[in-house]
Amino acid sequence: MTEMVRKSSGDEILNHWVLAASCILLIISGYGFLFQTEAIGSLFGGFNTMKTVHNWVGVVFILSLLYSMRHYFTDALEYDEDDRQWFKVAGGYLSHKVKVPPMGKYNPGQKLYYLAILGAGIAIALSGFAIWLVQGNQTLILISHLVHNVAFCIFIIAVPVHIYLSTLANPGTFQIMVNGTLPLEVAKKRYPKWMKAAGKM
Amino acid sequence: MTNHWIDLKNADVILAMGSNPASNHPISMKWIMRAREKGGKLISVDPRFTQTSAKADLYAPLRSGTDIAFLGGMINYILEKNLYFKEYVVNYTNAAYLVSPDFKGPGELDGLFSGYNAEKRSYDKATWSFQKDENGIALKDPTLEDPNCVFQLLKKHYARYTLDKVTNITGTPKDKLVAVYELYGSTGKPDRVGTECYAMGWTQHTVGTQNIRAMTIIQMLLGNMGMAGGGVNAMRGESNVQGSTDQGLLFHILPGYNPVPNASLPDLATYIEKNTPTTKEPRSVNWWSNRPKYITSYLKAIYGAAATKENDFGYGWLPKLDVGQNGSWLMLFDKMHQGQFEGFFAWGQNPACSGANSNKTRAALAKLKWMVNVNLYDNETGSFWRGPGMNPKDVQTEVFMLPCCSSVEKEGSISNSGRVAQWRYKAVEPAGQSMPDAEIANELYFKVKELYKKEGGAFPDPILNLTWDYGEKDAAGKVKHINIHTVAKEINGYFLEDVYDTKVTPPKLIGKKGDLVTSFPSLQADGTTSSGNWLYCNSYILKDGKEVNMMARRGKDDKTGLGLYPEWAWAWPVNRRIIYNRASVDLQGNPWDPKRPLLKWNEAEKKWVGDIPDGPAPPMGTDGKFPFIMKPDGVASIFGPGLNEGPFPEHYEALECPLEENSMSKQRINPTIKLFAGKADAFFSCDMRYPYVATTYRASEHWQTGCMTRHCSWLLEMQPQNFVEISVELAKELGIQNGEKVVVVSGRGEVEAVAMVSERFKPFKLENSTVHQVGLTWHFGWQFPEDGSGFDSANLLTPNVGDANTMIPESKAFMVNVRKA
Amino acid sequence: MANDNTKNRKAILVTPEVCIGCRACQVACKSWNQLPGIKTKNNGTYQNPPDLASAAFNIIRYSEVPSAKDPVRWLFVSRRCMHCDDAGCMKICPAPGALYRTKEGAVAFDRDKCIGCKLCVNACPFDVPRYDADGKVTKCHLCFDRIGAGMQPACVKTCPTGALRFGDRAELISTAKKDGFGTIYGEEDLGGLGSIYAFKEEPKLYGMTDDPAIPSSVVFWHTVLKPFAVAGLGGVVAAAAIHYLAVGPHKEEEEV
Repeated sequence: MTEMVRKSSGDEILNHWVLAASCILLIISGYGFLFQTEAIGSLFGGFNTMKTVHNWVGVVFILSLLYSMRHYFTDALEYDEDDRQWFKVAGGYLSHKVKVPPMGKYNPGQKLYYLAILGAGIAIALSGFAIWLVQGNQTLILISHLVHNVAFCIFIIAVPVHIYLSTLANPGTFQIMVNGTLPLEVAKKRYPKWMKAAGKM
Repeated sequence: MTNHWIDLKNADVILAMGSNPASNHPISMKWIMRAREKGGKLISVDPRFTQTSAKADLYAPLRSGTDIAFLGGMINYILEKNLYFKEYVVNYTNAAYLVSPDFKGPGELDGLFSGYNAEKRSYDKATWSFQKDENGIALKDPTLEDPNCVFQLLKKHYARYTLDKVTNITGTPKDKLVAVYELYGSTGKPDRVGTECYAMGWTQHTVGTQNIRAMTIIQMLLGNMGMAGGGVNAMRGESNVQGSTDQGLLFHILPGYNPVPNASLPDLATYIEKNTPTTKEPRSVNWWSNRPKYITSYLKAIYGAAATKENDFGYGWLPKLDVGQNGSWLMLFDKMHQGQFEGFFAWGQNPACSGANSNKTRAALAKLKWMVNVNLYDNETGSFWRGPGMNPKDVQTEVFMLPCCSSVEKEGSISNSGRVAQWRYKAVEPAGQSMPDAEIANELYFKVKELYKKEGGAFPDPILNLTWDYGEKDAAGKVKHINIHTVAKEINGYFLEDVYDTKVTPPKLIGKKGDLVTSFPSLQADGTTSSGNWLYCNSYILKDGKEVNMMARRGKDDKTGLGLYPEWAWAWPVNRRIIYNRASVDLQGNPWDPKRPLLKWNEAEKKWVGDIPDGPAPPMGTDGKFPFIMKPDGVASIFGPGLNEGPFPEHYEALECPLEENSMSKQRINPTIKLFAGKADAFFSCDMRYPYVATTYRASEHWQTGCMTRHCSWLLEMQPQNFVEISVELAKELGIQNGEKVVVVSGRGEVEAVAMVSERFKPFKLENSTVHQVGLTWHFGWQFPEDGSGFDSANLLTPNVGDANTMIPESKAFMVNVRKA
Repeated sequence: MANDNTKNRKAILVTPEVCIGCRACQVACKSWNQLPGIKTKNNGTYQNPPDLASAAFNIIRYSEVPSAKDPVRWLFVSRRCMHCDDAGCMKICPAPGALYRTKEGAVAFDRDKCIGCKLCVNACPFDVPRYDADGKVTKCHLCFDRIGAGMQPACVKTCPTGALRFGDRAELISTAKKDGFGTIYGEEDLGGLGSIYAFKEEPKLYGMTDDPAIPSSVVFWHTVLKPFAVAGLGGVVAAAAIHYLAVGPHKEEEEV
């Protein structure tokens, strides 16, 4: 029996998938609106329905995003010298031969990714609500429209990267968001500072 | 109109004075714009810069009530600068006629003409006559130089209307006066023509008739009468008011403008004698000499077989006015106010808002025992008893509402300003229980007839003897439904016997018994023809054995290119589109203006080509017929003794005016107007409490009192509330902001309105003072919208004083005050 | 950005010089489209409703400007959808077919396809689109139904003076120029407007929007962000694929 260590709580896993699912729905419907794609519209049963879905899924998205702050926000704000060094070696993603400094629970790439999603997510949500609910303020709506679409551009870069890095690029990572655990020995190699702090090393 | 709507496109100059066609007759602007496309010029003279002014080539402001001063100045200018068309004036007007040397004018009598009786407030017109030869024919001086000839008297009279005098009275800057006079005067050339369009801006004054007279003089001097693109053109205020006056709905006329008889004319012979003009002029056609034919045919039309030679064709059944009785609107409501009426039909009108001095009118209605409101909607009249200031408990009047339907819910003709009668069709069934007016009249007639039959009465004959054959009858003899075509045909007239022209040998058959009459020359004075309205004889005829409703025709040919469209519907008389058109040609019958060939004599075929000639006789030449065939002497009257206040228009101030004195003469107001003296009739001049001149007008979006248009949400949306237009200067003085609610007050009442502060009104700089003017619409009433947000009628302010000849109220110039609400 | 039907493009020519401000056009439009009446107040001018509304597809603007020879110049200008060739409303609209180009070149709308997002209101250089009680876009559609039946737009048909004319756009422009109207507002702006105005003076005097343009944020979004949204996603996916093939997944054994 391999000893496992828990990295993601059940709460986290549920939160992540609600967030992910809503995000994907929003991105797909977002493309549908951006390019007036009939094929995407018909997936949702027409553009009127797609709009209703987009609006309310957006609510779900921002609520679960804000909720996720309890899991990740404080961690995402802490950086040390190892994090700076991690960047110098590009996290070890550009060459198998470089030495990656010891990491905590999350590497700085993940931490910055979270902040980017949080920032862009709040921006996209606020601007989305403005477009949905505000009337009679042309400046506000046009700014919101711009912000919403710039944030969208951030999402469509960041999210595919996140998906790649948490699946194909790092085998064994995906299951952390399925059953929440990974083998202790693997954890000691990947997250030594976290394991040490948790008294497992 | 002497001309017609489409004809406006033929003018070189169009003068819109006393009117605002862009706002109130928008379709006319279609033709005015066409004229401008061809280089024509539009002049707008108005106290206010209106929508018409916005499109005009030349705008001149003038103080309300000073039109005669303005026009008098134009006459003076035309005479001084020799802009008049001499050949026309000499041959077609009475300019050459010699007037009695005893005649004196306002220049000599300080504002009066000779023969004034101050007590009676009227003139003995004996001196307003022509010198005659031993045969009774007027003496003339074709050189126009005799000091007693009309032309010289005209010159003398208007020499007093100098530019300085006029500018001081009207407040029009001198350079504007000259610009208008110059431009309009340029139509005195034979190949230039000018037209004038007027409406209530000219008629609704105590000098209203004379306003128009002044323009007719100008048109005569410039040779514009009878010409395509010329004439004097009344833009009627209602789509069928022309029809209503044609058919005799005014108190003093029968259909076809025959006078209503008065009690001093006990029989038909006397009526005919007193009302048929005669002339000694051998060259005058004097068409009204045919009156006996028309009155007799009228009587035969309404009384049919009951009208016989023995009973004077039923003349005794016609209602008679008392001698000197005036039954016009202001008189009626004055009598009503005194409690002298039991009942009243407010038929297709809203007197509570439309009559001058609304408070007096509304109080008058409360004195009635009963009232019938025949209208599409309930209105301020039908609901007068619950209006502002009324306590329903104190009102004993029983009010009935008979809903009538609109023009699109029934079939019939409508006669427009251009005398064109156009047939219209029913588009939808009447809403609810509403009925066409004709059906309502039908029901009333038979009920009244029944009552007379059952109960007798003071004089049943006039009712019982009416033919009233207007449709299929039931077993009891009542017409079930009016067939409007039978009415139209009765108006046209029938041959009641075989009628022959006995002036030829052998006598020629003119018409067969039972056939429709083709044209009024065929009407007879001996009871063998009928015609409900001789003017409309030719409107529904027999052609090749078939009945033709001429008014329903829709032919689009226009051979002359002048827009006559002779096959589109039908115009009276006899489809003549421009009346007095024989004045459009020279003595040989060639058009004065070859570019606008309204009429031309074809010598080879011995006939006129173009419009229907105004009298088929050959060209006047040296011994032919004069062109103005409706005038007893056959020529147009520059000197016009037929009106009450003088043969030449003279400037008098409005009853309520801002000036102590009339700078023209000692006579401040028209010396022959009727003045009412009751408490409700109060008027104030030069009173500090009412320092501003006010006028009333219309907006495109509403119509009349707004009785119908206020119910159309699309129209109310555009003009939701009554408003008063105020100059920037006056608003500043009073501290009034644009869009603010204000109250306008006169000696007779007050009304709330939204202040519209704008540059469109400007103060008038007169000789010794600066006068402010404001204006409001009369389209609103308290009854609808129900929350009162539209405010009420401007007639709460207007004075019940009328024109000296027509009694039309002076709604265009009176005094008010304005204060913040 | 000329549309495919440039050759047959129709337009409404407005000539304020001959407009008399009678507003038959306002009523004809409401009548044809069966729009409800709007409760209004007199705001100190004849202009009512004060601006375009869901129940007012066109209004006449009344403006007073100084005059050299008269107390004032009173101008009457028809305000209506400009049917731009490069239409901001169509650009920003997320719902296909909600705003569409008719074969005459007008911008019409399909209520059923509109999702009520109201973005078009803000992308219009002329502030034209309005929303009805159901939250759907509504504006002048150049009477596409009347035109389809061979009739003139309702406003054009009713105008008594010819201040509104409908027909071939190129012809209307050349005729107006021949008639002495040197400036045709909308001749080139936004790809050429479908509602063009004939002037002899500066259109600014008549209150026409000077140099009308789609808001720059919308233009930026359309020309930069939209392509980026495709290129960006595509690029990222491609980069990931290349990384996987070139560098490959992380190998645990390499940990030191």
